[in-house]
Amino acid sequence: MSRTPLELVCPAGTPGALRAAVDAGADVVYLGFRDETNARNFPGLNFSRPELRDGLAYAHERGCRIYVAVNTFATAGNPGPWHRAVDDAAELGADALILADIGLLDYARRRHPETRRHLSVQASASNPTAIAYYHETFGVQRVVLPRVLTVTEIARLNAQIPVETEVFAFGGMCVMAEGRCALSAYATGRSPNMNGVCSPASHVRYEQGVGGMVSRLGRFTINEFPDGEPAGYPTLCKGRFVTGGCAGYLFEEPTSLDASAVLSELMAAGVRALKIEGRQRGRAYIAEVVAAFRRAVDAAARGDPVPPLGLGGMTEGLRKTTGAYTKTWR
Amino acid sequence: MSLSPVLLAGFVLRPLPPVLLQPALDLAMSLMRRRHSDVFERLDTLENASFLIDPVDLPFCFALRLGPPAPRLSAVGTADDMESPSAALRGPLLVLIRLLEGRMDGDAAFFSRDLAVEGDMEAVLTLRNAVDSGGIDLAEDLLSLFGPLNGPARRALGVAEALFARAERDLETVRAAFVAPVEGRCDTQTARLRDLEDNLADLRTRMPRANVSGTRAAKHGAARL
Repeated sequence: MSRTPLELVCPAGTPGALRAAVDAGADVVYLGFRDETNARNFPGLNFSRPELRDGLAYAHERGCRIYVAVNTFATAGNPGPWHRAVDDAAELGADALILADIGLLDYARRRHPETRRHLSVQASASNPTAIAYYHETFGVQRVVLPRVLTVTEIARLNAQIPVETEVFAFGGMCVMAEGRCALSAYATGRSPNMNGVCSPASHVRYEQGVGGMVSRLGRFTINEFPDGEPAGYPTLCKGRFVTGGCAGYLFEEPTSLDASAVLSELMAAGVRALKIEGRQRGRAYIAEVVAAFRRAVDAAARGDPVPPLGLGGMTEGLRKTTGAYTKTWR
Repeated sequence: MSLSPVLLAGFVLRPLPPVLLQPALDLAMSLMRRRHSDVFERLDTLENASFLIDPVDLPFCFALRLGPPAPRLSAVGTADDMESPSAALRGPLLVLIRLLEGRMDGDAAFFSRDLAVEGDMEAVLTLRNAVDSGGIDLAEDLLSLFGPLNGPARRALGVAEALFARAERDLETVRAAFVAPVEGRCDTQTARLRDLEDNLADLRTRMPRANVSGTRAAKHGAARL
């Protein structure tokens, strides 16, 4: 039996990545401006206004939509850059705005009521009451769910809310409730939720030693990878620390999310869209991952088994997990 | 580092002074600036940054200096010949080329340890994101120099690529033949190690029981036999 395919929402950090995503079969490309108004504010990444205009034209000509993430929280007393980001995205013709800050949601609703508003994962809304509030107050039409819910919990949630849900399908495995995590801010003084970057590059150092590579974030040693061992990002949540004389991972080991094994279950749970993480990744990642998930989503929609995606080489630490979707209490 | 045509070419190039490469590198940079101005616009924020680019299978390194009057690429004998680079990138030449052309993801190369980076990570990310966005295709860039001779040059490049691929396959066959006996011994050692670990695990599961029965025996005044 054929079912409506999940919408495939794909990342782009550069115009080259946007074209790669569109060409590989993305239904939607999400992106941000080149500043702190979005949660992937990495050096040299993201879009200028003219690049967004060109990207919109490229995508729309090929039947692909563009969502613009303005999903950090505006600095106290300085909402100007966030308001400009919302205005410019809406006026250039973005198909939806991805927002987290309630002040910005209110601004977008009043100034650009015709532009769809999606609730960013940064808002970390994961219960019916919170989601109903965002819908009734700000006209939010879709919620991106944090990566902390099981498939069963998502199904239960979908039965109680009046909006679409979008869930992460592949990429960075954030183990904390997004928008609430202060680990990176504690280590660096710069907040992912305000400045738009977790483990900012300005505070990251890699050192090649005799036995391997040491990664550091600010004053903290995050990990020491012996030669030949696959490496991971320099985030505190995936740090390997010595306790009681033994080195081990406190929260999570270096690994990436891969929900391809539960696509049918997510469809049955009422999920509307799948999000691939990785605006900071290169064109090669975008092209390969988007093409693989295009095949997977289409197979799931036909009711066929999802084929193996072969994306192991793209994963952090060269490992993958279904994360909280199949979580069992330990 | 693996056996590859690049590694062998490096042995051939070893006696040559790196300065002989300068005219070719100047031409390459001039071509890049003309055909990929968007890449250099994204690098604007790195006014005075410099990068050591170390193809680990070649006997020399590249120094990329972005400072005024114009970005410059030069060859240096060793990493020590470049004074205080902002950052260093190390990997096999083919990995570095694939990264430059956006055919390989930088994070994936880092995860697999094919790429090593040190120094100013803001500069590294800016460089990575700029070149990844640029749509650089070295073959097409090179062919653009040939004007009306583009057709024959393209055919010659095709032949060269086929020869390189053939050499790569042949060398892999040679490598596999050389390491096969060692791999066989490694497999044997691995199997023995696994047996020993299983035995150790078995002993560990028995130990508490022995301790418990020993304690009980002492409590009941059992004699030691």
